[in-house]
Amino acid sequence: MSLKDFISDYSPKANVWDEMCAEGKLRTQYQQFFDSLTQVSSNDFLAKDELAKKLFMSQGVTFTVYSDGEGIEKIFPFDIIPRIITATEWALIESGIKQRIKALNIFLRDIYHNQFILKDGIVPAALIYSCPGFLREMVNVDVPFDIYTHISGIDLIRDSDGSYYVLEDNLRTPSGVSYMLENRNMTYRIYPGLLPKNNVRSVKDYPDLLLKNMLNLSNVQKSKPTVVVLTPGLFNSAYFEHSTLARLMGVDLVEGKDLVVDNAKVYMKTTAGLKQVDVIYRRVDDEYLDPLIFNPSSILGVSGIYYAYRKGNVAIVNAPGNGVADDKSIYPYVAHMIRYYLNEEPILKTVPTYSLDNPEHFAFVFENIHKMVIKKTNESGGYGMLMGSAVGESEIASYKIEVEKNPRQFIAQPIISLSSVPCFINGKLQPRHVDLRPFALYGPEGIELVPGGLTRVALREGSLVVNSSQGGGSKDTWVLS
Amino acid sequence: MLSRVADSVFWMARYMERTDNVLRVLRTNYIASQDEIQNFNWKLWVDGLGANSPVSELEVNGYRDAIFHLVLNKENDNAVIVNIIRARENARAVQDYITKELWQCINEYYHLIQDKQTEVSLLKNDPVTTIDKLLKESILFYGTVDVTMSRGEGYTFLNIGKFMERSLRTLDILELKLIEMVSGGNEAMHWKYLLYSLSGYEFHTKQYKNALQMNEVVHQIIHNTLFPHSVLYNMLQVERYFKRLDTISLPENFKEMEFLIGKSVNGLRYGFNSSISVEELKEQISHARKEIKSIAYKLSTLYFGYT
Repeated sequence: MSLKDFISDYSPKANVWDEMCAEGKLRTQYQQFFDSLTQVSSNDFLAKDELAKKLFMSQGVTFTVYSDGEGIEKIFPFDIIPRIITATEWALIESGIKQRIKALNIFLRDIYHNQFILKDGIVPAALIYSCPGFLREMVNVDVPFDIYTHISGIDLIRDSDGSYYVLEDNLRTPSGVSYMLENRNMTYRIYPGLLPKNNVRSVKDYPDLLLKNMLNLSNVQKSKPTVVVLTPGLFNSAYFEHSTLARLMGVDLVEGKDLVVDNAKVYMKTTAGLKQVDVIYRRVDDEYLDPLIFNPSSILGVSGIYYAYRKGNVAIVNAPGNGVADDKSIYPYVAHMIRYYLNEEPILKTVPTYSLDNPEHFAFVFENIHKMVIKKTNESGGYGMLMGSAVGESEIASYKIEVEKNPRQFIAQPIISLSSVPCFINGKLQPRHVDLRPFALYGPEGIELVPGGLTRVALREGSLVVNSSQGGGSKDTWVLS
Repeated sequence: MLSRVADSVFWMARYMERTDNVLRVLRTNYIASQDEIQNFNWKLWVDGLGANSPVSELEVNGYRDAIFHLVLNKENDNAVIVNIIRARENARAVQDYITKELWQCINEYYHLIQDKQTEVSLLKNDPVTTIDKLLKESILFYGTVDVTMSRGEGYTFLNIGKFMERSLRTLDILELKLIEMVSGGNEAMHWKYLLYSLSGYEFHTKQYKNALQMNEVVHQIIHNTLFPHSVLYNMLQVERYFKRLDTISLPENFKEMEFLIGKSVNGLRYGFNSSISVEELKEQISHARKEIKSIAYKLSTLYFGYT
């Protein structure tokens, strides 16, 4: 079968930016990809697809769904056709994200200290104080090196003209980076020799960079700081990621019950007694971190850990209280922050956003509801949102009642169609919508990005929701050099 | 290392060892039962091959039932599938600590035992083929540990768990055989199958060069330090691995454990008489078992952070 036959069926929708095709022709990067394959037929791809599934299963890259008390192992859907990003596109993404993280980090420092941005009227104070992610406990706390956003995942999408938009900032405990690494490992297996042929940049450095940053964060007087990853435990859906990162960095993976605080220092319980911990990469949410300060019923956290943190005896990554910067109602102000703090124009675009507690916006949004998506400001994972184009009048009406109860909790955005990429589904190539989540690491030496990220795919035909909880899958992401 | 991790590694090894032992006994007994005219007492083995569980309410009519209960029945606490699930849960809890190869090995074992095909061939076709396939996975586990694991603390706890569990299983299997023998049958055949189920028959013929008799069989199973399933050999291994913890332990904890292990080893060596009546033998077995269990208990309080 020739390449032409294989892709002849592929027909991306009109008014959608397709990553592979432009005006019926293959873009150079995908032409190069197919050229470097020795054989192109649906049977070859079918065999690769099978192999990928088998490997994920035997490697235990799975999550467990519990039904009737019995766990069923499932693999995260993985699509074998890579998503390819050119060097120029990546340069833009990289500089745009660095700029954004820098501004957001200054914003966090500012909001928990002098609050210049409120005093200068750039961001309304009411918005900050009504934000559930704003932690009063963090006010006037000095964090090591003034870094709050050590690890961030910025969700990007592309509009029909191909320009990149930021859809969401994830500054708390963004997940998915282990899939970036595992998907690349899968590519080695299913496409032998193909990565060098295509000049794909490596993502392998990620754990090393992360470890380096964390070691640098600790008290400088120590020669060998102890770094740990704190996980909520085995039943957390991202447990695989926690253990993978701990293994790749060669540090201990601890649960809350492994840690204890004594005299404002954090220790872990080892076979040889207590050992002091210097840096914690926590994957436990703020709310559960310390039952003495936050949620008192939490058993995932450690009593007294927050006190140790304020005393500067332990570094916590990411800093608590970051939720105030990635709240969806703060999102429209990030562009202003970039101008205010950095005196620069934002490199990446932001989606126009309407806060529903503004009556004018409210009216406008519900007049144009079929072109809008409404989201809850403090929810993620694709929960609690309403796609105006996909639902009936009755659902809209009942959602409207919900919004009226507490409009501060909702924002609306025009539906952006998201770019499409080819996926190998049912034996042929079909266009599906994707986003991209690159991961940025902020350490004392600056902000770094590994060239790549997690490409999430909405595997249902026509769907725009890429979250894994809502039928999404992922792909390997190639950044060319 | 973290106490929780040490605990999980220890139990992972124990569950894997238990699995291996149950499969070996089952394999031998299945072959024995094919050879026997009278009704084979499967119920005894189904109930007895666990961690001293009381008589269960499981109904056991013939070997297919026994195979189902001992391998596939998730309701049965002693079943192989339950042990593998537990071993895997423990491995998952320390996935960052053990090697990727070891995790994949246990994970693949888990998928094999969950496979519908395994169930069909165990219950409908020749069970020995499938049991052999499962046993191969457990051999793979030992090999993977040996080739890939770092020789640190985790490896030490893993081996302590493995050898401790094996010595307990050997005591159990010997005791069950003694109970079974009361109901009659050819004594030599009983000893022969007992040795088969401990992979020790060939060893016996080569070492003792004699017709099978009780005091020599018991000597091999309890005292012979060349025999990898003998209780003394296994407890000496526990002692040997435990000594490696000397430098990392709190001194008082180390002393307490060292005493208990030494006491048990010496009890086996000098206090266990193999030329005695069956009743006395049973008493000695339960005493030895009690001592080994007290070691495990102390380990969990002094090293694994249980209070």
